[in-house]
Amino acid sequence: MSTQPAMINRYRWYELLGIYAGIFAFLTFILAPFVEGFLVSLKPLSQLFSSPYRFIPQNGSFEAYRTMWVSVPGFARYIFNSFFISTIVTAVVLMLVVPAAYAFARFKFKGSGQLLGAFLAVNMFSGAVLLIPLFRLMRTFGVLNTYFAIIVPGVAFLIPSAIWLLRTYMMRIPRELDEAAFVDGASHFYTLRRVILPIAMPGITVVAITTFIGSYAQQFIYALTFNSKTEYAPLPVGLFAYFGRQEVIWNELMAASFVGIAPAMIVIFFLQRYLVSGLTAGAVKQ
Amino acid sequence: MGQLNLNKVQKFYGTFEVLKGIELEVRNGEFVVFVGPSGCGKSTLLRMIAGLDETSTGDIMIDGKRVNDLPPVKRGIAMVFQSYALYPHMTVFENIAFPLRVEKMPEEKLKAKVENAARILHLEQRLQQKPGLLSGGQRQRVAIGRAIVREPKIFLFDEPLSNLDAALRADMRIELAKLHKQLKATMIYVTHDQVEAMTMADRIVVLNAGEISQTGAPLELYHKPANMFVAGFIGNPRMNMLPVVCKAAGDGGVEVEYKGQSVTIPVGGRPGLVGQPLTLGVRPEHIHIGKSDLSMTVVPSVIERLGAHTVAYASLDGESENFCAMLPGSAAIRADEVVPIGIAATDCHLFDASGVALERRVELTDIDMGLLKIGGG
Repeated sequence: MSTQPAMINRYRWYELLGIYAGIFAFLTFILAPFVEGFLVSLKPLSQLFSSPYRFIPQNGSFEAYRTMWVSVPGFARYIFNSFFISTIVTAVVLMLVVPAAYAFARFKFKGSGQLLGAFLAVNMFSGAVLLIPLFRLMRTFGVLNTYFAIIVPGVAFLIPSAIWLLRTYMMRIPRELDEAAFVDGASHFYTLRRVILPIAMPGITVVAITTFIGSYAQQFIYALTFNSKTEYAPLPVGLFAYFGRQEVIWNELMAASFVGIAPAMIVIFFLQRYLVSGLTAGAVKQ
Repeated sequence: MGQLNLNKVQKFYGTFEVLKGIELEVRNGEFVVFVGPSGCGKSTLLRMIAGLDETSTGDIMIDGKRVNDLPPVKRGIAMVFQSYALYPHMTVFENIAFPLRVEKMPEEKLKAKVENAARILHLEQRLQQKPGLLSGGQRQRVAIGRAIVREPKIFLFDEPLSNLDAALRADMRIELAKLHKQLKATMIYVTHDQVEAMTMADRIVVLNAGEISQTGAPLELYHKPANMFVAGFIGNPRMNMLPVVCKAAGDGGVEVEYKGQSVTIPVGGRPGLVGQPLTLGVRPEHIHIGKSDLSMTVVPSVIERLGAHTVAYASLDGESENFCAMLPGSAAIRADEVVPIGIAATDCHLFDASGVALERRVELTDIDMGLLKIGGG
């Protein structure tokens, strides 16, 4: 009599080999630039243009991670700016998006569908198209060369996708929870704060992470357009300082890139513990 | 107090009339069950009483006060949902305490109330656990605890046991009945399960297509259904319906003919019945093997042996519906073999062409209470 469990050995060996080969190829494609970048950061500048080219550094060291601070003395400020701008953008987006997503998920009001559609349409615009009108706006309000000029467009562009993401998540939270709270006398705000927010934490974390990363990535275009002062410039602008007139200090540039994304990685690392699923277990009978 | 009055309550979704002018009085301390098939409007009616759905027209009165425009919390009701609706991130204590936290009750008083509710519901050992760790029955008890602490005038239950398995449902039915005795509160309970309705209700309200089909005590509905819908809905297996023709109506009852046999059913007559087609109703548990006032033979096609009872299904000539008989567990019958059966005239129901019952001349006090144990699920 066969005792083979149903769910084990679903694939034959060659199917598994194919799946793993696919995953390996995909990861190689994604990670290769990062690995190469890291290897470059370990190489002395002289080795970078050697012929034949060597991927593995000879006498590799972390020297570039020290000299990068000397070559561009204000680099710490760029990192701080990026981190600060992304943190503020994320905080503002969350403050606006959580109640908005709750409203879109729970309440029927005139034009809600159109409004959601409009948000999606805004996201379809390339940011570059709006740079000149935004520049004129910023100039009119006299906020060029301030943090404000980088933060506000960042918030505006990141809100629509965040609302869609969180609304979808909140719609999966059983409506009976709101109704039970309503019957017990809770206001909508109280229900949102005490019932929905804790349950929606994984969704909010995803929004926080994507907003933080989105902000980190898109600061570049606003910073170059609306800001010309070093003191407000974020990391991507700072990295340009390694492009000299005569040469590009590639190893330091790569080292600076890795150092620059470290704070974002740390934030994501700490946020991901809220990404636990199954938080609604036991809420309602499914 | 917890008196509820519904005055011509209507509910429209667009132009579709879901509830068609409901008139009902629920007395203080009464346990009333709304029962009916899916889509009959029973849950909608409960949600309107709760204040979760708006009332299109008519008045909802609690203790003489119109509450149509009041939010749920100001109506003095508490509701237990079918799906429990527990807050998964909170402990059992915090779940039960939730309504008290909303009203900012002092901690000491709050603790005493929650612990009292937990004692009533045997949840003392579970107070620090989260709902995810509890069984279905315990979760539903937590949901009931959340209602108890508010000391509402009226408890509303929306099919609270339908997610539990059969054994647990039976236990919870008993616990709810005890709770009602203990709290002496008005309770309104929605279910599609007639066993829940029959066993727990002081009074049952049978709803059909947005209208009240009949209101009455469980035994009253069982023995004196007002129409064919209630007769078919209350009782399991369903009442058998046979087409008959009225031959005479007099003081002794209404004489009908079924396939050449005449039988006088002790029901109140009414003018103009003679010659009219009527429907004779007989419950499966009132069919006996052997001869009686109305006798016939059937050939059962399916026989279900349930231990205490044997349920036999047969097709009668000319009728598409299955004819069902509930016989003793040891009944000596076999599938596809002829069985002689008899029906006593006093057990029969009679309905006119529009499905309205002719009133049976039975006193409810004369009825064998043991019959009610039949059915169940």
